[in-house]
Amino acid sequence: MNCPKLKNWLEERYDWEGMKRFAKRKLVPEHRYDLWYYTGGITLFLFILQFLTGMLLAFYYVPHIDFAHKSIIEIVTKQNLGWFFRSFHHWGSELCIAFLFIHLFGTLLLKSYRKPREFLWATGFILLGVSIFFGLSGYLLLWDERALAAVRVATGGAGNFPFIGGFIKAFLRGSIDVTGDTLTRFYAFHVAILPIITLLLVGLHLLLMQYHGMSVPLSLEKEKRREIPFFPNFFYKDLMVWLVVLGVLTTLAVLLPPEIGAKADPLAPPPENVKPEWYFLFLLETLKLFPGAILGLNGETIAILMVSCAILFFFLIPFFDQRSARGEKSPLFTWIGVIYLLYFLTMTVVGYLS
Amino acid sequence: MKLKYSLITRRTFLNTLFGGWLFAFFAGTFSALMKFAFPTLGKEPDFVVLNRKDFTDLANNSVKRFPWGGVVGLYFKKADGSVLALKGVCTHMECNVAYKPEERRFYCACHNGWYDENGKNISGPPPKPLEVFTIMEEGEKLIIAKKGVKVELPKA
Repeated sequence: MNCPKLKNWLEERYDWEGMKRFAKRKLVPEHRYDLWYYTGGITLFLFILQFLTGMLLAFYYVPHIDFAHKSIIEIVTKQNLGWFFRSFHHWGSELCIAFLFIHLFGTLLLKSYRKPREFLWATGFILLGVSIFFGLSGYLLLWDERALAAVRVATGGAGNFPFIGGFIKAFLRGSIDVTGDTLTRFYAFHVAILPIITLLLVGLHLLLMQYHGMSVPLSLEKEKRREIPFFPNFFYKDLMVWLVVLGVLTTLAVLLPPEIGAKADPLAPPPENVKPEWYFLFLLETLKLFPGAILGLNGETIAILMVSCAILFFFLIPFFDQRSARGEKSPLFTWIGVIYLLYFLTMTVVGYLS
Repeated sequence: MKLKYSLITRRTFLNTLFGGWLFAFFAGTFSALMKFAFPTLGKEPDFVVLNRKDFTDLANNSVKRFPWGGVVGLYFKKADGSVLALKGVCTHMECNVAYKPEERRFYCACHNGWYDENGKNISGPPPKPLEVFTIMEEGEKLIIAKKGVKVELPKA
């Protein structure tokens, strides 16, 4: 592509050459852990795909208690390629959350969160929370038996939070139970509120990453290391990885379209052996460990408090880990990270198998 | 086999291959997205079948609506008792027209368009007369069809 006229036109208005120099100057370190650098890019790519397919699905989805379930069945059975885009959006969300977790634990174990990147960690962590809420709210839009049970449990669990639990529950449900009001509310969360928060946070996350540059693991910081230009070397590699992810996602979407259960009936008991999405299993299993009452107090409340404390500690790790902030080895926090990871994996597997 | 001369360089070949592949990839993706975004549109019917009983006792100088595909059709009994079926959609900007019995004209409120008793555009912006349909009666059925369309009823 060589268009001198267009180039001139741009050059007269913008510092085109300067931008090109800037893009060429941006370097990405190359070392034996650089595989982890791709996880963030993959998540970004999946976010973009979710935004695109979500916009399309919104053309046909009807957020009303009487029509929601039927409208999805019509998308799947009547619209051109509707089955594919619904399946794609479903698998996109699963992969998105999976890669968010991979990205999170990679960042944790390589201690990329350490000074000066605390806010990168914080924005990413909030994005994970937002994404899980995305998953839950999107899930309810299906309005089938399983979705109803899942959202009842999730919002009910939030209701066990001391003092503010009642308010959270009322805010999420918009009514005393999960009803049509909850559906419209979750629709608003899913298509309006959360996307804007996500855009802002992703923008901030990328800006901070641009500002700080890529983090190099502590153990390799002292070594002499090679660096490759972001553009085009790293960017091309990114594209190749994205293509593989797109291939995997498309394959999953085509071969394993998600089921649509029977329409939710607020008066019916939940289906037997109902299970939430896999990323809620570790929470569910944790709550199961606690008895109904501990020393006369509500066991659920204690469980929720302890889980919240553990998550809060996780969130604040960059501020607690002073050794790595000084650039020293910090085995304590490596162990803490490994424990968190093992706990998450074990409880997810236990929840999946039980 | 080694060629002595080649019309293109290796670089051009690879660029074309890569560019073509990219184009095919994005074109495929885009067309799939567009296929979903554009619904399968219904088309205008050639004729509709109505119940004759519903239209027999219509008073002179009045209209009764009937569904013509997704839009409105008007069954119109003139002041002299003769009947006419028209598409009740203004030919200017596709607003629905209303019949004004006291003036014996059809009126479109959107841009102040007027049609006479026979659907001819007489005043305002409408560029064409209203579409007039053929009326047929078959036993209990009232069939309203596009002009010049052969009506073949499905055998019940």
